[in-house]
Amino acid sequence: MINSTEFAVLVRDELGLPVAEEELGSAFDELPGWDSVYLLRLLTVIERETGARVSLPDVLEARSLAEVYTLAVRA
Amino acid sequence: MSTLEGASASAGASTVAGASTLLELHRAGELAARYPLVAPLLAELGPDELARAGALLARVPVDEVRRHHPKLPVVKVAITGHGTLSPLVAPLTAELARHGLVLDPVVSPFDSYVFDLTDPGSALYAAGADLVLCVLDPMIVVDELPVPWTLADLEKIVDEKVRLLTGLADRFQATSRRTGRGTLVLNTLPLPRLLAGQLVDYRSRAALGALWRRAATALLGLADDRPSVVVLDLDPILADGTAARDPRLSVYAKAHLAPGLLAAYAREVGHLARLVAGQTRKCLVLDLDGTVWGGILGEDGPDGVEVADTYRGEAFRAFQKVARQIGSQGVLLAVVSKNDPDPVRRILAEHPGLTLRAEDFADVTANWRPKPENLRETARRLNLGTSSFVFVDDSPYERALVRRELPEIAVVDVDDEPASHVERLLADGWFNVREVTADDRARPARYREDVARGDFLDTFDSIEDYLRELGVAVRLEAARASQVGRLSQLTLRTNQFNLTTRRLQPPAVAALLDDPAALVLAIHSADRFGDNGLVGAILARRVRLDGPDAPDGPAGTDGPRRTDGTGGEVLRIENFLLSCRVFSRGIEHACLVALLHHARDTGVREVLGEYVPTAKNGIVGDLYPRYGFTAYPRYGFTAYPRYGFTAAPAVDAAPVAGAPGGAGGTTFRHDLRDIVAAPAHVALTTVFLGEHE
Repeated sequence: MINSTEFAVLVRDELGLPVAEEELGSAFDELPGWDSVYLLRLLTVIERETGARVSLPDVLEARSLAEVYTLAVRA
Repeated sequence: MSTLEGASASAGASTVAGASTLLELHRAGELAARYPLVAPLLAELGPDELARAGALLARVPVDEVRRHHPKLPVVKVAITGHGTLSPLVAPLTAELARHGLVLDPVVSPFDSYVFDLTDPGSALYAAGADLVLCVLDPMIVVDELPVPWTLADLEKIVDEKVRLLTGLADRFQATSRRTGRGTLVLNTLPLPRLLAGQLVDYRSRAALGALWRRAATALLGLADDRPSVVVLDLDPILADGTAARDPRLSVYAKAHLAPGLLAAYAREVGHLARLVAGQTRKCLVLDLDGTVWGGILGEDGPDGVEVADTYRGEAFRAFQKVARQIGSQGVLLAVVSKNDPDPVRRILAEHPGLTLRAEDFADVTANWRPKPENLRETARRLNLGTSSFVFVDDSPYERALVRRELPEIAVVDVDDEPASHVERLLADGWFNVREVTADDRARPARYREDVARGDFLDTFDSIEDYLRELGVAVRLEAARASQVGRLSQLTLRTNQFNLTTRRLQPPAVAALLDDPAALVLAIHSADRFGDNGLVGAILARRVRLDGPDAPDGPAGTDGPRRTDGTGGEVLRIENFLLSCRVFSRGIEHACLVALLHHARDTGVREVLGEYVPTAKNGIVGDLYPRYGFTAYPRYGFTAYPRYGFTAAPAVDAAPVAGAPGGAGGTTFRHDLRDIVAAPAHVALTTVFLGEHE
């Protein structure tokens, strides 16, 4: 279980994406340098941090990091 | 014992330190500005930490790194293949960064390898990459199977894929032969249980295994007669326990090779990239106590250390065998040990159970001085750079010290479990080369002959007497196709006697041999102690001053000008290389004089030569002036993209002045009026182009 501040840190430190906590809700196409490949790495990182399994199809359908966070918390 | 534990803890802490320093640089936005610091930070990272490092480094724009560090070698890698390939970029970035290289990746659209490699006008060919990775996975076959399928269906698809890949390899080979550029990297297809498990009877499963391996054999064979193609065999990686497939990533994201396998694949490609940049590891330096044998020689004595025949002794013997095996392929072996010298000398000469013996080592150092100091001294004696060393030690203290003092040395961690020594040593392909040449196999013996030459020299009053008695015989001859591997290797390995440090992969050398305007001369030498082999090369080119190949600079102003109205043909020496083992024997003198005479005899008006200074080639800075050339400072050479000269010299041999690609050097000119006399003590034979039988 992680909070959204920790989630934003994961995004910055594990993916290298310069995203502030309040930008998590931005649609992926609004994030500079976004690539869907980051979702695969993010899945690995979330599962490592939370110890729970997250649904990859759901992650691939997410439209923002905030939606991925919701999936991570629900897991 | 307590000191060892303390050192162990601090080595563990430094692993974390490497990862956390990298993270701090990332957070501060300083990775590009501090890129040269990255390689040592990555040296000890485990798989997870390296994966994260790769993700962070892959975010750093190549151009920004270039802007901060114009001399850092950049290797351009095109990535194509089947499936989703962008997950390869991060691990590849990390693996190249481990070698101090910057990855410039060009990723093709999804599943476009057939088009990419078929059409010589494709974006992939246009990118002019140093390495072209065509990443293959078993789904290229599985995806095309009908439902239900039979062995015959599978065989048909597999055969088609082999034919297709053979055609693509041929096309790539033909294109690279023309441009002299690039290496295509293919890989074998893992055989997944996903496929084999679908057949319920053992007979069919075995038949499937057999036809799959036939295809693998055909794929691996593609490299045989195509010098521009490398095929990576993934089986050894899989056999050591790396999963081939992650079902979720494969099914949902079409990323068909699991992250662990991609990381291992990236490690292999890192070593290929290292070769592109001309970084070669030439010497394996071993600690003794705890590394080559069990126990401590100074305490346990020669009969007490475990070298063979006990449980642990067997493990050390296995390690010794592998070290000798590596030594048989052109890698020099050396010892740097904290021991008294006499017991070490005795045990290496006399112990009947040792597999590694005194004669296997090019150099043995046993004393109590700090190891970094001894390693520097070993490098000096062998006439090598420490950046060509790989060092193995079981002491975390010694490893940490060497890493800190000499970060350019690759350090292999072995520990108190000798059964793992071999795996640890072979985990990284430090000594990988494109091919092992006959010269490689003879190298250890030649280094031993060098020791004999040194002793012989001691018996003479003057160097002239010595040279006369040494009986140096040199053969300067037009290179043949069979010498392409060795010639390429000379351009890649030689750092000192290397006038321009232009690195040429085998296809680039092959392209020069095909080029009627190019003159590729191989230098062989021998003396009373033996044959030195192919020790050097002169790469030259005939150009007409008024032709399209005219060098930079307005001809007729600063450049050489025609004065006789016949049109001037100029012989331009693009590089001159000589192995460090045969310096100072008049070989370069004899060859240069012969080349000047040849030029004059064949109607050349003048000979130009260039020197591009690097950190390591100061020894040849005055080569041309010494033999009657005059400096021509304003008449610069340009880079030669047509011939695939790598614009990325090794880190430790990067030009110290001027822009990358060879500018910044000094051009020298010889007008062929007065040619100095050849050295009397060298017996020279020449066979120029067209003179072969």
